[in-house]
Amino acid sequence: MGSEARKRARERLKEQRAKEKKAAARRKNLIVIGVAAAVIVLIVGIGYAVLNSDRGEGYTGPLAAQTLQEDGSVVMADDGVEAPVIEVYADYQCPACRQFELTNGDLLKERAAQGEAIVHFRPVSIFAQQQVPISGNSLRGGAAARIAADHGVFVEYNDLLFENQPTEGREGFSTDQLKEWFAGLETSPEQQERFDARLDEEAAVVTEFTEEFLPALTEDALQEIGQETLGTMVLTDLLTWGADNGHDPAFLDGTYTGELIDATGSAYTRYSGDNAFRGTPAVYLNGVLLDNNTAMTVRGLSEAIASASPGKVETQPLDNGGDAQ
Amino acid sequence: MDTPDETPAPAPGSRWAAVQPWITLACRLALAGILVYAAASKYPPALSVQAVEAYDLFPHELARLIGYTLPLFELALAVLLLVGLATRFTGAVTALLMVVFIAGILSAMARGLSIDCGCFGGGGAVDPGETTYGLSIARDIGFAALGAFIALWPRSPLALDRPLGLFR
Repeated sequence: MGSEARKRARERLKEQRAKEKKAAARRKNLIVIGVAAAVIVLIVGIGYAVLNSDRGEGYTGPLAAQTLQEDGSVVMADDGVEAPVIEVYADYQCPACRQFELTNGDLLKERAAQGEAIVHFRPVSIFAQQQVPISGNSLRGGAAARIAADHGVFVEYNDLLFENQPTEGREGFSTDQLKEWFAGLETSPEQQERFDARLDEEAAVVTEFTEEFLPALTEDALQEIGQETLGTMVLTDLLTWGADNGHDPAFLDGTYTGELIDATGSAYTRYSGDNAFRGTPAVYLNGVLLDNNTAMTVRGLSEAIASASPGKVETQPLDNGGDAQ
Repeated sequence: MDTPDETPAPAPGSRWAAVQPWITLACRLALAGILVYAAASKYPPALSVQAVEAYDLFPHELARLIGYTLPLFELALAVLLLVGLATRFTGAVTALLMVVFIAGILSAMARGLSIDCGCFGGGGAVDPGETTYGLSIARDIGFAALGAFIALWPRSPLALDRPLGLFR
């Protein structure tokens, strides 16, 4: 063999070795990537299972009695039950409230049915001052829930509203939809007729409030008292100011829309300090505000209820509650 | 990405060869810390779901899945960065995740949504005057740069990759 040929053979061998070395390295690298991917899958999988381990099957049993209160809120508890009181402040247009309902709605129903909790639903409208359609959706949803409470189906209707919550900023909770959802509950044609009539009245009030009254009032207030002070005022304060400055809110009197706005104003003044109502969802256990880790997890809320002592409902039942049972 | 040993071996003794592994280590630790914080602040998952839903990009069920698993994914990447396993791959995936985040924020901007990015907990609608899209995007670009550095120069001390024979 000539030296030329030997040299070529040597080079071929060298190339071959380099190729093999490269292939081995690539293989090793792929294996390590595979292991890393497996670690990711493992952590995500186990974590997901743990986070969902406290998720119930969904409660479909009978509901505890619903009692309409003077301020338009609803207490879900059977007669004479002594148990911790859970107050739930929620806005029907608030996405986090929807998440609360999806996470813990069934737990509350179950605990109330077992007589282990008194659940006090306190609908509010923190979005009433936002832009249309957010404000309108929020108020219309709240008013519709209040009418449903007149017919003893607040809790069922509350579920439907959250299930069908409009995406923030989109038109939703139309009167047709709201009527249709009521029709899906076990109610009589006569109840449907009364629901529909009242809803149309409330929807008109909501439209007037969000599209005419409030924009005009806000514009005036901006000029008269300035952005800075206005920013610190809750809606009920602004309405009081408006009443003295040529914006008569009398059209809200006796309406459920007005009642909802009042209930929201009261929520802001009812608590103070760390306990203050700042937004929704706000969940209070025996009058003490729960943090997110407690309120927004099944395990957290369930344990908090289990370790609390019996509490007292702060509102009075509405005497002439019609057929609210 | 799958040609680890082709990282050009820097001239031995050069300053870059001495410094680069420590820069990569710093990037790994910083990015891992950021990811752990991002994951922890998204707890409880119900609120994380709400932050995802605010982007209005996914159906409810998918938003729920993302809300639950995204923080876990961030946590997993943090673990890999900390132990230094598949360093180049992990750095690249993290950088890619940041690009996805940036795309999400840009899409929210483009559609005129007023939301908090939910990057470190929070999320959901905010007043139109209170959006911080620019800041969020700048932050994510910074994080993506850390990931890219790790992917480009994966050689670093205190990494499981080394005993396994990678990026020595």
